[in-house]
Amino acid sequence: MSPKGKTRIRRFSPVQRLFHVLLMLSFLTQGATGLSRMYIETSWGKGLASVFGGYESCLTIHKYVGIFMICWFLIHGLYLFFKIDWRQFPRSLFGPDSLLPRFEDLGQAIQHVAWMLGIDRLLRLDRWGFLKKLDDFLLRITRLPPLNRVSYLKEFDGLLSVITKPPRFDRWGYWEKFDYWAVFWGIPLLGVTGLIMAFPLFSTRFIPGWGLNVVFWVHRIESILAMCHVFIIHFFIAHLRRHSFPMDRAMFEGSVDLAAARHEKPAWIARLEQTGKLESQLVAEATPGLRALFYIFGYAAIAVGAFLLIGGLVNSPSITW
Amino acid sequence: MVNKTEMRMWQPVVRSLRASFWSVLGSLIWLLILVTLLPNPALAQGEMVTDIRRYRERELSTGYYEEYEVKSARLVPIVSVPGIRRGLFPYSPTGAEVRIRTRLADSHWGIKFYKDLRCEYCHIKETRDIHTVRGNLTCRQCHGGEPIASINHYYSPMNPTRRHAYVCSKCHEGASASYASYVIHAPNPAMLSTKETFPVLFYVFWFMVALAVGTFAVFLPHTALWGLRELLMKKEKTEGES
Repeated sequence: MSPKGKTRIRRFSPVQRLFHVLLMLSFLTQGATGLSRMYIETSWGKGLASVFGGYESCLTIHKYVGIFMICWFLIHGLYLFFKIDWRQFPRSLFGPDSLLPRFEDLGQAIQHVAWMLGIDRLLRLDRWGFLKKLDDFLLRITRLPPLNRVSYLKEFDGLLSVITKPPRFDRWGYWEKFDYWAVFWGIPLLGVTGLIMAFPLFSTRFIPGWGLNVVFWVHRIESILAMCHVFIIHFFIAHLRRHSFPMDRAMFEGSVDLAAARHEKPAWIARLEQTGKLESQLVAEATPGLRALFYIFGYAAIAVGAFLLIGGLVNSPSITW
Repeated sequence: MVNKTEMRMWQPVVRSLRASFWSVLGSLIWLLILVTLLPNPALAQGEMVTDIRRYRERELSTGYYEEYEVKSARLVPIVSVPGIRRGLFPYSPTGAEVRIRTRLADSHWGIKFYKDLRCEYCHIKETRDIHTVRGNLTCRQCHGGEPIASINHYYSPMNPTRRHAYVCSKCHEGASASYASYVIHAPNPAMLSTKETFPVLFYVFWFMVALAVGTFAVFLPHTALWGLRELLMKKEKTEGES
């Protein structure tokens, strides 16, 4: 059904992939330099800091990379501005191709969790004689004739099956949207607090000096939150769960396997098939050499993340907080 | 899908929305251009116009108003000494402030065997902050030699009036009085006692912790469950199989 060899469907443009790679590299650098300063009392922190040339140069790198991240964040904002379909302006923002959250996402999240818990099987009515009990109950309170009772029960059953059916995701799942927008709260918060601390003489002209104490803790907690989220949840979803094990190459290769997408994002593929756009979105798999590069790069990032996460957790009791 | 009549119905709305968007953007750009043509707001004008900002910059940077040393009202250190009454009449009739030595010329006056004691023998909490632990500063590098005057003594270098110039700017060149109100020996933000001594830090800290805990309370179980469910799922049939 698809042209020969074109087994994958396009998902991210080269520019989007570039944004992600830059974010990856700068995020890991910020994590490593920041943690090496925070853990400088421990031998783990000292070793980490020595990679970047010691305690002082860690800060220099941290500041420059931070400013680099802020710049790319602004450039990404500009990119979004030009990427918006201004011709159909208000409507284009709320379509299925947009990353803006919709009410549907909340419903899908609930459906997804219900699917994870296997509620459809737990609540299968015949189990525990639930249907019979409901029938007895209806008879007792309403004295309805059997025919009516049966139709009520059928509707109840139908309602349950709607709640318990697995969600049909479109292009962006709710977890992907959360991951995307989490960066939009993380970078401004870390960026602004970071800039305040990077230029304290200037910033204390506008805020009192004790504001630096506050800002320091905001920066610290937010960075721990961001690192834990990326190193545990994001890595798990993109690497460890069975659907994407050993690695979801979408963000590096720019495409996903069509069969896999049909399984995970059925509404997206159905929509493309309906509008006849599917054929134009199909691409061939990357060469083995490139694929190897993606795996090496992805697993290097995992290794760095795991090193920072485990080292940070293990050494956390031995630093002055 | 939207049918044609519906599209025609919405067309004027969309057109006017688009037009208003561009006109707002255009007027903003013009406003920006106009702003560049205006003269810069001068601090000297502020001095003439309002009482509140008068001499602020100068006070902050020099700690002086004409020939008098001043402590700006905006820079009252937020961390107080516990046990001292604050508010409208801060001077306690019990003289607690004097007793806990915040206004003495020699703050350690009268302490037995003082010469044989190390600072951290009493001030252990004050050794656990970034300046001491990471910056490797010793107490004397900031607090000076004997006698160490109380923080609020008139002639103490640590007095908030001149702390920035006498102490902070030894390392932080150009430190202002505002800059010097950074709390070096910061309290543990998680402690309940911090709610009294540094409320902003306390509340902001717990807000951030709640944000982090909230995020993980949702996403950790979610992700674990998801992974488990996919692991136990029956294998999907692919196209090649029957």
